[in-house]
Amino acid sequence: MNATLVGKVDDDLWSAIGDPTRRRLLDLLLIDGKGTATSLGQQLPVTRQAVAKHLAVLDRVGLVRATPAGREKRYEIDDAQLARAVAQLASVGSVWDARLQRIKKIAEAIQRTQKN
Amino acid sequence: MEFGTIEREIFIDASPDVVFDVVSEPEHVKQWWPDDARYSATPGSTGEITFGDRDAGGKVESLTVVESRPPQLFSFRWIHPADEVAQEGNSLLVTFELTASRGGTLLRFKETGFREMGWEAAVLEHRYQEHVSGWDFYLPRLAPYVARLEVRP
Repeated sequence: MNATLVGKVDDDLWSAIGDPTRRRLLDLLLIDGKGTATSLGQQLPVTRQAVAKHLAVLDRVGLVRATPAGREKRYEIDDAQLARAVAQLASVGSVWDARLQRIKKIAEAIQRTQKN
Repeated sequence: MEFGTIEREIFIDASPDVVFDVVSEPEHVKQWWPDDARYSATPGSTGEITFGDRDAGGKVESLTVVESRPPQLFSFRWIHPADEVAQEGNSLLVTFELTASRGGTLLRFKETGFREMGWEAAVLEHRYQEHVSGWDFYLPRLAPYVARLEVRP
């Protein structure tokens, strides 16, 4: 897989999470374990159709998995893909680790100067 | 599940007063983060930080100081559009909390707002990483700076 393709996948993943309704859906699925467009729609101020569209976006980036349930689909979180999304945020954290190390070095150097 | 916050803690062998200056004053901040920092470290003050050369494709970002209580707390919002007031939803909130500890300072760092900013924030950090390539860029700059501080009488 080349770098451009990885970048594209990540773009989609982040924009899927970037929407507040979809984040709310993820939260509900994490709490309830699973849900359908109907059951999730009842807990949100949006139509069942809108919920179904958001779930399709989440499905497309692999954050949820669907199984047939009668005339509907039942959705649940894909733990591995969610972990991947979280790991991307962790990489932002590692940038801050480097910055904090520099803060430490600078402050300690100043402190040594003041003691002398 | 919360994927909107980064939290870190680090012990620094320097007094809270010294650490506070390093995390808040523009002349120190530009030694550990952007290439240039122009703002006043007072609450409500808005300024900017620049990554790279401003006249050669560098990136300028807004920064608004939220709280400043020396030497305990310093917080600011950044990456909001320059013509918008910094608030939840259009920016990331960075908070430094300082506690005197074991003759030094316990520095607690927190950055929140990723839940709201999501992808944009990730792109931004990624861009900065590409731009400065981490330690390869910073280390050569840091060493002379520390050396200069140490030779000061």
